[in-house]
Amino acid sequence: MIQLIKLELLKTMRSTAFAKSVLVAIFLGFLAILLLSYLLMLGIFLKDVLEKGFNFPDAYEAVSAHLIYFFLFEFMYRYFTQKLPVIELERFLHLPIKKSKIINFLLARSFVSPLSVIALLIFTPFAFTEVMPRFGEAAGWSWILTILFTSWSLHWLMLWFKQKFEDSITGLVVIFAVLLLGIGSSYYGWFNVGELMKPIFDWSLISFIPVAVMAIVCLALYRVAFSFYYQHAYLEDLAEEEEVKFANAGFGVFDRFGLAGEFANLEWKLIIRHKKSRTYLMLAGFFLLYGLIFYTNPIYQTEDGFSHMFIFVGVFITSIFMLQYGQLFLSWNSANFDFFLIKRNGVEALVKGKYLLFVAISVLSFLASVPYVYFGLDILLIHIATFLFNMGVVIHLVVYLSLWKPKPMDLNKGAMFNYEGVGIAQFLMMLPIFLGPYAVYLPFALLISQYAGLVALAVTGLAGIVASRYLTSLPIKKILENRYQISSAFRQEL
Amino acid sequence: MITIHNLKKQYKDAVVLDIPTLEIPKAECFGLVGNNGAGKTTLFRIILDLVRATEGQVSLEGEDVSKSEAWKYKVGAYLDEHMLLSYLTADEYFETLRKIYNLSEEDLEHHLSKFEELFNDEIRGKKKYLRDLSKGNTKKVGIAAAMLGNPEVVMLDEPFENLDPSSQVRLKKLILQEKALSQVTFLISSHDLNHVTDLCDRIVLLEKGKVIKDLVDKGSMVEELNRYFGT
Repeated sequence: MIQLIKLELLKTMRSTAFAKSVLVAIFLGFLAILLLSYLLMLGIFLKDVLEKGFNFPDAYEAVSAHLIYFFLFEFMYRYFTQKLPVIELERFLHLPIKKSKIINFLLARSFVSPLSVIALLIFTPFAFTEVMPRFGEAAGWSWILTILFTSWSLHWLMLWFKQKFEDSITGLVVIFAVLLLGIGSSYYGWFNVGELMKPIFDWSLISFIPVAVMAIVCLALYRVAFSFYYQHAYLEDLAEEEEVKFANAGFGVFDRFGLAGEFANLEWKLIIRHKKSRTYLMLAGFFLLYGLIFYTNPIYQTEDGFSHMFIFVGVFITSIFMLQYGQLFLSWNSANFDFFLIKRNGVEALVKGKYLLFVAISVLSFLASVPYVYFGLDILLIHIATFLFNMGVVIHLVVYLSLWKPKPMDLNKGAMFNYEGVGIAQFLMMLPIFLGPYAVYLPFALLISQYAGLVALAVTGLAGIVASRYLTSLPIKKILENRYQISSAFRQEL
Repeated sequence: MITIHNLKKQYKDAVVLDIPTLEIPKAECFGLVGNNGAGKTTLFRIILDLVRATEGQVSLEGEDVSKSEAWKYKVGAYLDEHMLLSYLTADEYFETLRKIYNLSEEDLEHHLSKFEELFNDEIRGKKKYLRDLSKGNTKKVGIAAAMLGNPEVVMLDEPFENLDPSSQVRLKKLILQEKALSQVTFLISSHDLNHVTDLCDRIVLLEKGKVIKDLVDKGSMVEELNRYFGT
């Protein structure tokens, strides 16, 4: 067992992502600690926040009535971020270690994660500041333990659920149902899950039965996860060969663009046939809903005109896919970069194909965002302006900045918290991308009017579009100049 | 066809390739042998302009490979999986190449029909991505792809590796056939001395980046190589 733990540590220390960019690792670690300490702060001040900030007369009542939303939310973030231990399994299966031991170890290993302490950090301080003083020490312990066992039950549940249903229609349906359950009850008031579930947590104040039940559920789900992995501890089950999907999928229009169009179609196939890129595509879909949060939020309603914040939202909605996917511009092709290098004009066509694809997907996102006009004509104008700006300026910024030391990555791993291919450049490049639109918009918006700001964005964007032939030649030149480094970095020789 | 002049590749202090001069004439079958780390793959990569030469240059019919791209139409190569698009099926991959090389469907069909025996019904018409193929089958796809589009030079790195014995024989037959029919220049590196000596008119032996033997006499080739490798 100790040997296994040692191996695990070594693996982390020596993983290419960690060793090659200590800076990124430190930055991420710092970020994680920062986020967790925010959660702890939230936990400590939760009582005050609820009573003074939100004017809830009774903080305990408020928390217990909303706990179910927390768990629904936890279900969502666990689904998207929790890592499955199966990939590790392959490395151990052939060794003379008992299968049950390996699986117990990997399951335990998966539990060591920031996700496991989120509920602990938020609700333990609350149990001490609110529940214990009011209902007594025993009640406090019982209450917090019920919550923790519920949260940890979700951990084991997710290990099973994700392995079984990820990437399948069933998985999507369940996720959607959970989302609907949360939104339906809170926004539309069809029913109130919070009130329905509250008695369970209230019960835990006077009885230890809920604790015992949740503890048993937690153990039972561990058993479920364990036996599922135990039964599927075969290579064929772990890395299932994918059925060939979308065999003839592609954008017909691309055919008119010659080799670049051909490569755009290839890139599209690459996107839909790899887990990581598929997740990005799905996220782009989710982010289309981003506007619902901002455009309806009373905080951002202004007397006349619109909130400056909406520019940011507009940029995001019309180009989120490009921003995310483009960040790792060449890394997507790291497994077959040589293919393009040994073709005549291969690199040029590859880059142009990617541009074509970005434009196509951004156009689709833009069209899908048109219904936001329901919230006012301003929104449509913002989307048009930011869309043009994205196509003329942001696209080139993303592509050019992404070429700063591209790194190889494995596309078959999930996208969340997978920082393969991400270097410090990918963080730094977000700055100009987010500040760029404001650099153009704000001077005009503040000095003349907001609409002048939008016109400025649109005009700058159009200028960029007109100059796109020249602007696209820059990254091509840069790649060709650095082709030896990129190619050998992608072959992992450096 | 290919002229190597003063070629040197150096990683920090380690010289991994040092070839003052080497000339590969048109239609020659050029075999490259040497132990692990002798520099075979590096040489191939430099010829393909995938790795930068520290000094000197490689030219293809007088054209410096690092200066232009026109030569890329004349060269087909399969060195490793980085040259495949692993997320396509074999059929899709060939179709993509067909478009890149501007071939007609008949051209492609004709080309692939030559590989029918080698493919052994395990490549075409299969709903399987290249990344899910066995190593041997991946190699077959790569080789067929390298020879597509009537290239004047075909470069293959360890073509016999991972192939089953019958496939090895079939591949050999195929290359000999192609050699007899057209003026293709083959560059083949291999650890299999029997195969490479059967195929090639000339064998160059690399050791630590240097050409230590340049053999053209078919009769004594095998014996001399066996003596060097201690086999």
